[in-house]
Amino acid sequence: MLLQFLINGFITGILYSIAAIGFALVYNTTRIFHIAAAAVHVVAAYIFYSTYHILGLPLVLAGIISTLLSALLSILCEWCVYRPQYIKNASINVIMISSIGLMTVLINMVAMYFGNETKILNNNIQATYTWGTLIVTHPQMLQLIFGGIFIIIFVFFVRYSRFGLRINALSNNPILFETLGFNIYITRTYIFALSGIFLALNSCLSAYDIGINPYTGMPLFINAMVAMIIGGVGRFDACILGGISLGILQSFLVYYFSANWQNAITFLLLLLFLFFRPQGILGYKKRTV
Amino acid sequence: MEYILHIIIILNIYILLVLSANLPIGMSNLLSVAQASFYGIGAYLGAFFLIKFQLPFIVIALFTMFLTGVSSLIVSFASVKLKGDYFVLATLGFQMIIFTILYNWVEVTGGSYGIADIPHIQLFGKVEVTGVYGYFVLTTFLSLLIIFLFIYLKQSPFGRIIKAIRTDEIAVAALGRNPVSFKILTFFISAAFSGLAGMIYASYVSYIDPTSFSIDESIFILCALFIGGIGNVKGPIIGALFIIIIPELLRFIGLPDAVAANLRQIIYGLILIIIMYFRPQGLWGETVLK
Repeated sequence: MLLQFLINGFITGILYSIAAIGFALVYNTTRIFHIAAAAVHVVAAYIFYSTYHILGLPLVLAGIISTLLSALLSILCEWCVYRPQYIKNASINVIMISSIGLMTVLINMVAMYFGNETKILNNNIQATYTWGTLIVTHPQMLQLIFGGIFIIIFVFFVRYSRFGLRINALSNNPILFETLGFNIYITRTYIFALSGIFLALNSCLSAYDIGINPYTGMPLFINAMVAMIIGGVGRFDACILGGISLGILQSFLVYYFSANWQNAITFLLLLLFLFFRPQGILGYKKRTV
Repeated sequence: MEYILHIIIILNIYILLVLSANLPIGMSNLLSVAQASFYGIGAYLGAFFLIKFQLPFIVIALFTMFLTGVSSLIVSFASVKLKGDYFVLATLGFQMIIFTILYNWVEVTGGSYGIADIPHIQLFGKVEVTGVYGYFVLTTFLSLLIIFLFIYLKQSPFGRIIKAIRTDEIAVAALGRNPVSFKILTFFISAAFSGLAGMIYASYVSYIDPTSFSIDESIFILCALFIGGIGNVKGPIIGALFIIIIPELLRFIGLPDAVAANLRQIIYGLILIIIMYFRPQGLWGETVLK
């Protein structure tokens, strides 16, 4: 039984890690508090819903379409809102408020078009895989496989590819990055696209499992953010550690305690980390300005 | 007529909320997203006192304001300890914890069922404030009082010091003032008036449930504040006016109900984006958020 909760928590944790990567890609490099990520997540889920459920495309194709379109949406967020503000040299908090506005607009457009109710993607009883007492459902298996593959690819990509190096450079020192002749706008565009891809991936995987409604964005966003803070700001592999530990912790909370208080304890954890170890588990100490 | 009075009552409550949100955010540059939690704490405490005790309005209001103010100490602790984004995150955490408590502590707060049949406010002795007219007079009086109070606060030594903290905290400390105590006081006053707004709301509507005090409400208050403008007194009032009047105007266009709520939010969001780009200090504000 304990093992079952561990594996459930682990799979939820993988989902959190993916979302946290999507958020951290933007936050670490540009310091934008990308609240509109919640909206990208929701839009991706609805694109997946319309292609898979309404148009009846195959699962993987629907996922790919949704991922690409959300990458596009994420780029549009950057082009239409963040980049003009960046050029104007606006403060981080002003950009954050714009991001709140952007989130409100996008989520309500989705809600207006599709309605507020929860939509379920597959009505049949989910197939399961059993090993002894362990039970893993089919959507969970997909989450484990796809999520795991993408996380591993991402870790290697950030560490060893040329573009990963650029992401790290940009997050370390944007002015030096620009001085050395790299185009900051192009790099930012790619980063936003990548962020959109990860957010959409998370969105499709969880939509296939538990269905969608327009208001799932904010809770997921908050969990992803907590995962990022716990793991450590400034590092991408820390998101994975943070996400997985958060997932396992929440799962055990449900087992020992009660599901009602899951959120309160998550945020208590966030506050404790902010007060006593703001750099996270893996992060290195640096001064916040 | 009663419809207009109702709108004015809600407007007065929001003027209270947005003005008190302006105190930490606009005056001392601490972007707190926990304003709705103080509103909620005030509403629940007020409801509790109104139901349990038959005390005059002023006593209950002072109690509610004091206790809500005490609850803000956690946030002011965070404001001393954390800077920038981390402070925003901490207030977000506080907001979510309060919401979860209101939602899940069923024995005390009634959980998602909320609290119903909250009695009306009793002024001195046994004069009960009832109906739209009573609340109209009461809230208009209170909001005028508080507008004047904030105008006074802004030019008082206290207001000048918190504005100085907004500009340069280290310089304030170097000149011999303790920024910590001023931050604590800022949040205390802000939370106290949000709590008062919550208490009036609870007794006016006579039913409260946690969804009125969620993170969305915080964002709504922030929208009003940033559209109106931060840092002075007229900005927040304009913001509250704007955000309450717009949906009523939309009502007259004759949109279907299903679309109206979402469309309203879309309009707020768009206005927020546009204002943050072209006029980051808001329609009538004094400073830009750093």
